[in-house]
Formats: sequence, structure tokens, C-alpha cells
Amino acid sequence: MNDMSFKENVEKALANTRLSETLHTFGDGYLIAREKAFAGLDFQALREELGAIKDDVRVNRKALLAEFIKNAEAAGSTVFIAKDTKEANDYVANLARKKGAKTIAKSKSMVSEEAHFNKAMAAAGIESVETDLGEWILQLAGQRPSHLVMPAIHLVKEEVSALFSKDAGKTLAPEIKPLVDYSRKRLRDEYFRADIGLTGANFLVANTGGIGLVTNEGNARLCSTLPKVHVVFAGIHKLVRNMEDAIKITRLLPRNATAQLLTSYITWIRGAVPCDGGTKEQHIVLIDGGRSTLYESEACHDALRCIQCGACANVCPVYQTVGGHVFGSVYISAIGVILTAFYEGLEKAEPLVRACIGCRSCSAVCPVNIDLEAIILKLRHEVTEKYGMGTVKNVAFRAVMKNRNLFHTMIKAASRLQGPVTQKGSVPSERRVIRHLPMHFMEKDLTGWRDLPAIAPRSFRDLFKTLEQKVENPTCTVGFFVGCGGDFVYPEVGVKMVKVLNRLGVKVIFPQGQNCCGIPALYSGDTETGKDLARQSVKAFYNLDVDYILSICPTCTMGVRRDFAERLEDEAEWAEKAKVVGAKVIDASAFMENVLHASEKLKALNLHGGEAVTYHDSCHLKRGSGVFAEPRALLESTGYTIKEMTNSDRCCGFGGTYSFLSHPQISKQITADKVENIHNTGVKTVAVDCPGCMMMIGGALGKQDETVRCVHTMELLADAFGV
Amino acid sequence: MSEELTSLYMEKATLVGCEVVALQDLKEAAEYIKGKAEGPLLVPESTLCTRYGMKSLLQDAGVTLHEGSFREAGHLPAGGVTFSNFAIGESGTIVLDSTPEEMRLATTIPEKYFVIVDPATIVADGLGAVEAMTALHSGHEPRYVAYISGPSRTADIERVLTIGAHGPREVHVLLIEGISSDFMEN
Ligand code: SF4
Ligand code: SF4
Repeated sequence: MNDMSFKENVEKALANTRLSETLHTFGDGYLIAREKAFAGLDFQALREELGAIKDDVRVNRKALLAEFIKNAEAAGSTVFIAKDTKEANDYVANLARKKGAKTIAKSKSMVSEEAHFNKAMAAAGIESVETDLGEWILQLAGQRPSHLVMPAIHLVKEEVSALFSKDAGKTLAPEIKPLVDYSRKRLRDEYFRADIGLTGANFLVANTGGIGLVTNEGNARLCSTLPKVHVVFAGIHKLVRNMEDAIKITRLLPRNATAQLLTSYITWIRGAVPCDGGTKEQHIVLIDGGRSTLYESEACHDALRCIQCGACANVCPVYQTVGGHVFGSVYISAIGVILTAFYEGLEKAEPLVRACIGCRSCSAVCPVNIDLEAIILKLRHEVTEKYGMGTVKNVAFRAVMKNRNLFHTMIKAASRLQGPVTQKGSVPSERRVIRHLPMHFMEKDLTGWRDLPAIAPRSFRDLFKTLEQKVENPTCTVGFFVGCGGDFVYPEVGVKMVKVLNRLGVKVIFPQGQNCCGIPALYSGDTETGKDLARQSVKAFYNLDVDYILSICPTCTMGVRRDFAERLEDEAEWAEKAKVVGAKVIDASAFMENVLHASEKLKALNLHGGEAVTYHDSCHLKRGSGVFAEPRALLESTGYTIKEMTNSDRCCGFGGTYSFLSHPQISKQITADKVENIHNTGVKTVAVDCPGCMMMIGGALGKQDETVRCVHTMELLADAFGV
Repeated sequence: MSEELTSLYMEKATLVGCEVVALQDLKEAAEYIKGKAEGPLLVPESTLCTRYGMKSLLQDAGVTLHEGSFREAGHLPAGGVTFSNFAIGESGTIVLDSTPEEMRLATTIPEKYFVIVDPATIVADGLGAVEAMTALHSGHEPRYVAYISGPSRTADIERVLTIGAHGPREVHVLLIEGISSDFMEN
């Protein structure tokens, strides 16, 4: 997929509002049902355990594979290792030729999608019929799956009835139950007729030589029972050590996939079982297809822990907005981005890699603890190395960001140049906004649907120089990492934070040598700039005599805490210093609540914040730092009532430069959902702890409803104090 | 056997769409089945089936049994009846070693499936099944073991849960004490 066709696909998908609605409803329902399915279980502990099992399998994969083959052969299976999907297809085609087989009844197997198996069989003159309902629908429609678990989620019953009517040669009503009944009867003939039954495998159990299949419909049981020959198609990463490993996976897989405690069927098959008075011929085709290479990639091999639950799609705002036919190739969503890069090449994955918004929902939901977002970020680096960043970003990041003075000068210049296009915001807090940008500067689409924030006339770093700190009895001193949003767009947030901290007896130091956290550069794939920026800020903070460095932007917190040391790992001395600095960084709300225990003290002051507010959890604050109760406690203790919105922790669509430069249309749709949820609360103030979210939500609100404002928690606290 | 496990199993199996009944003995089971299924049933030979003369009990109750190869019973026979190896409380699952082909056909192709479970064989959760599953796979004999948790289902059209995709539409679990507490036989 080149960039142009990707863009076209995005536009097509966005025009299909029904799809996005379906995926949203599904995503909402999924989260509630999933929570119920995990009640009483420690998801974090369980997924760490599965991750460890899969890691052990990776390390010992050669021995385990040999053990599996030995045991399978001892039970009468024939095992073939295919180095790629073509070899796998050829093996089956040859087998069919030898057996004189004409038809294959096939149950679901993702690796067979990867192999474009049906097409290969057709070319060899063999008819291969899908028997999984969703897959059969897609086969009739000539389409590919748009979800790992629910392959035909993008189609409605009217479309299904049209396809089935054509198959039946008569009109079938668009009613779900009769349509399912039709496929039940119709496909039953196929199992009885087929010469070969093909299934996938969820597990290859090394110490038994058997496979495990996790299904709901029962078609895999029929495919592996009725035909005289059973072919198993499986990727080599499906290995587990023993029955216990496999059973442990079955504890999480259905819960995370469909919120079921177990699927209707789990089928364990070993060897050549009895068949029609004789013995079944069973062939296990183990497919490498790039997996060995992926196993060798230090940076990305965790992706092979995947047990294909599909959850990373269910929670992904990009997937929900454009669907699996755009955000994925054979495999979709977060895991699809990574696998596409390895199995089909970086070029094919390039637009997908860039489309990720970096919200980390996928990493939070993965049952085998894959940090999908972190892997995608690494791929982004490679994509940039190979394909560049596109002109706008090249200018923004490479040339400018690296040089602090140049960057800050340019920002100042921009602040002046934008004069003619800036208006005083009409929202209560009187934010400055850019209503219309000069058309030649950026795409038209950029400001049509939301205001862009303007650069403040004076940055925080300037304001701080004249800021008088009144601390009566300082109990401690902290450093402040302001971040670009706080420095140049919303400097008042930092100022208010300082004032609130002063009231709480804390003094603030602001080292002027600090620079951008580097995340925007990294997300654009510019690692070199990212490193440079890290060094600058580490230098600015390393010698500061403080225990805590406060941040008002959770993306910066994550950038400094998690990424600095990692970014500088090749330079031991810098990496050491980066670790020291990183360990001190904390979000301002978390510091106030968890270190100062401010809400207790604030309650005693009896402040009257008064108004009702709703709170948006920014992605990196909740899923990056685990902070969500803290700002709520602070707000409540200063007299605000919180009216929760639906899905308060769903991404607002910001994703840094994503929304501005590369994917404005996708971002727009995600933000529209957020604004609707805010409206439904009926509340006039949205509190957040992130300047990025403020830009996105504030901007969208500015265009749609100017009576609702979006503010930082620090500002509300300051208001309550009257400072 | 514990009361708690039995009621956990009954609750969970019902939740996944099974019809669960506690019965006195196999004679009552035969009558229950007679009341629920018309047409010839697939009743595969097995250790427990022979031990208790299940086929005659069914015939005595007036049930017609399919004679001959199950492959000749049509594409959608009326019902199938088996015993079970053991059950899993947490997920309402029955576990059946169905290595003999007739056992598989009786549990996959019919419209209705009746399964007899001894409450003494209920384990609490998935992990409680590890030992028995490992034992079932000792040696190198071919093996086909099925976990069955309710009727066949799909949500592939508009995510609407629909029963009876490819396997049995109804699963009836008949709980009867004193059948066999040996996890290795059915
Ligand atoms: S980080 Fe967010 S946008 Fe990117 S793939 Fe994961 S869920 Fe989707
Ligand atoms: S990557 Fe994780 S969440 Fe995504 S499908 Fe695989 S196991 Fe599920």
C-alpha cells in the first residue's frame, strides 16, 4: 500500500460512518463485558506470567520444536516445516494431487490468510471452502477479514443475505437466525463431501505432540473429524511447553477476545486418530514465514507472544475510526502493524506505522504483555530512516528542534507572524486560538473542524523569570519540566501550578537549559533529534538538588522517565545520568496527592471550587503513569463536583504531531466522539492534565460549543485558591 | 465431591447455555432424553455405556437408536448421548475423551447433545484440569479430547450471539451421582 492509496482508503473508510459506529458500539460493549470476565482475577499478574511462558518458548524454541515433532510423529502425524507460506501451500497442493483430492473444508486459520491459501488452491485446481461463518461470508464476498476474531464485523445482515441469496439461488430474508441456519445446513454438505479438512492451531504442545483449537462454532471439530485427511496449518510461534502452558493461555484468551470464560469448544488433537473404520492421515504444516527473523529481532520479538485475541483492535481509536481494511493488512491493528512490517516488508507497513496515534491502549489490553506501542515507535524510527519524514516534519524536527535557541526563536517568530490569523478566544478563559491558517502553510483540512492553539505571546520560560514565589514556610523544593505545550502554548498552566505549589509550601526551580522532551520527534521517527533533546534536558536537571521534577504533561513525563535512558543507552555516562533524572519525574497531580497528600490538607481549608466539572483521562497519564484517581481527589477536595463522562479514558485524538500534520481526518473523528461524550454530561468545564488534550479538546469545543471550556487541573486548583 | 463445586458447575453451565438437571439414576436419564429428542439417536460404545447397559435403558424408555455407522445417520441427526470424563466448574465445561470416531460424531453432528456427568468429577477451574489432561496424554497413542462448554455459537453476523452455528444447538447436562469418579474413563 503506498501512501496515496492509504490516504484514499482512509477517506473511503471515513465516509462509511456506519462502520465506525459499529466498531465504537462494539468497543464500548467489549470493555464492559471484559471487565466482568476478569472479575476477581489479577490481569497484570496473569499476563506477566503468559509473557514469561512465551519468552521461555522463544529462548528454547529449537529444542521445543524438535520435541513437538518427535512426539507428533510418534503418535502418527506427519510433520512438515515450511520456510515460507508458498512452501506450505505447495505441500498441501501436492498432497491433494497425490490423494486425488478435489475439495478442502477449511476452518479458521490466520496463517492461511497470510498464505492466501484459497487462491493458491484454486490455482492448483482444488476447491477450498471456508466453514467458519464469518470467513465463509468473506469468501462469498471476495473480501479479507477486518478483525482477528470477528472477520466480517464490517458487514451487516443485509449484505450477508444478499451474498447467501446468490449462493442459494433464491431470496433469503436479512434475518440473522435464519441466515445462520442456512449456513449450518449448506456447509454441512461440505464437511461430508471434502477430501481434506484443514484447521489452524492455537497451540502446538511440545511434550504431547498434540495441537489445541479454541473455537465457538464447532466447524473445526467437523473439519478434523469427517474428511479422511486432516491438515493442520500453524505458525511456529504457536509452540508451548506443555498442557499446563496451553491451559493457562485458555484462561486469558477467551476472556480477552470475547469476554467468555471459555469458548464453546476447546479441542485437543494428537496424532492419527481413528477415522471411518481406519486411521486418519494427519499432516502438520509448521510455517516459519518470517517468524525466525522476527524472533531474532531484539526490538520486536515480543510480537510473537501474540495469541491472536484481537483485543488490541477492540480498544484502538484508529481502528475504531477507519476499520481493519485500512489499519492493517492480513493482520490488523497494533499487532498487524508490526507483523505486516516483518511478513510483508517495511514498505507495505509504512503508512500503518505512521497511522498509530501512540495512545498505548493496545499495550494496556494485551494478554501476553506485549508493549505494542513501544514496538511501533521503534518501527517508526526505521520507517523514517528509510523513507524520510515528509517535508513539514523534516523542517520541524530535524533542522529546528535540535537547536534549542533556533527552536525558541522560531516559536517567537511564529508567535508574531501569526498575528493576522489569531483571534482572542471567546471562551471564558480567553484562550488564544488560530481560526484560520494561511492556506499555503498547511492542509485546508487542518483548521476546518477545530481551532489550532496559538503560540502564547510570552513563553513560560520568559514568564518564570519575573515570577515571584511567595512561600511562607517552604517544606521542599522541586524542579519543573515544562514541556513545549506548557512552555509556548499554555504558559499560564505552569504559572498557576507554581502558585498552587507555593500555597502548599513548595518552592519551584526552573532550569532554563531544558528543551522539548523529544517525543514528537521520536513519534515522527527522528531518533537522532530525540537523543539530542534528551541530552540537553538531562544536562539541565542532573545537578539540581531536588528529589522531584514536576511535569504538567504526561507525555513529557513518560518521555523523560521511560525514554531518556533508553534513548541514550549507547552512551553509558549519559544513560546513567538520564536514569537519575528520569526517576525523579512525576506528574504534578500525582506529586501533590501522593507525596504531599494534598487532598487531606485541602479538604480542611474548605475551598469552594464549586462548579461541576468532568474529567478526561489523557492516555499517557492513565496508561503511562497509572494516574487517574489523584487529579479527581484534588479537584474534589477543593470543592469541585465531578460528573464522569462515558469512556473518560478513551483517547481524545491528539497524538502530538499526528493530528496536525499527518492524519488530521482520523484524528477528527476520534475527537468528535470525545466532544459528544463531554456534551452528554451537560457540564461546562472539562478538566485534563495534559496540554495536548487541551489543544485537541479545547480546539474542537471552540468550533462547536464555545460555552464549554477545557482547562488543566492546575488551573482549577489555582481558581479554588483564588490565585 | 463437594456441594459447592456442583452448584458452581450448575450455575456456570447454565450461564453458557446448557440445560442442567440433577437426576437420580440412568433410568431417569433415559426418560429425560426420551422426553427431549425425537428421531434416532447416536449412542457410541464406551466403557461406561457398556458397564451400565445404557443403550438398553434408552431403548426401554422408548428411544430409537441409530444402528450402523454414524456416518450413515444423515447430515443432521436428532441427538447424541455420551458419558464424560470430568467437568470444570468455573466455565461450565465437560471434558470428553472422544478418540473413537463414533464418540466424535455423536457430539458434533447432531442437533441435540445429552451428556451424563458424575458430580464427583467436577474440578474447580481450568488449572484443576491440568493433571487429568496431562494423564490423558501420557504415552504416544493418538488422542482427541474435547472441552465442550454449551451449545455451538457464533456472533459473526452483526455481533449478535446466535446459537447453533455448526455443532449441537442444545446441550443437556445430566448430573447423576455414583456413575464413575475415574477421570480416565467415560
Ligand atoms: S498506540 Fe493507540 S493508536 Fe497506536 S496502535 Fe495502539 S491503540 Fe492504536
Ligand atoms: S497483540 Fe496482544 S492484544 Fe493484540 S491480538 Fe495479539 S495477544 Fe491480543
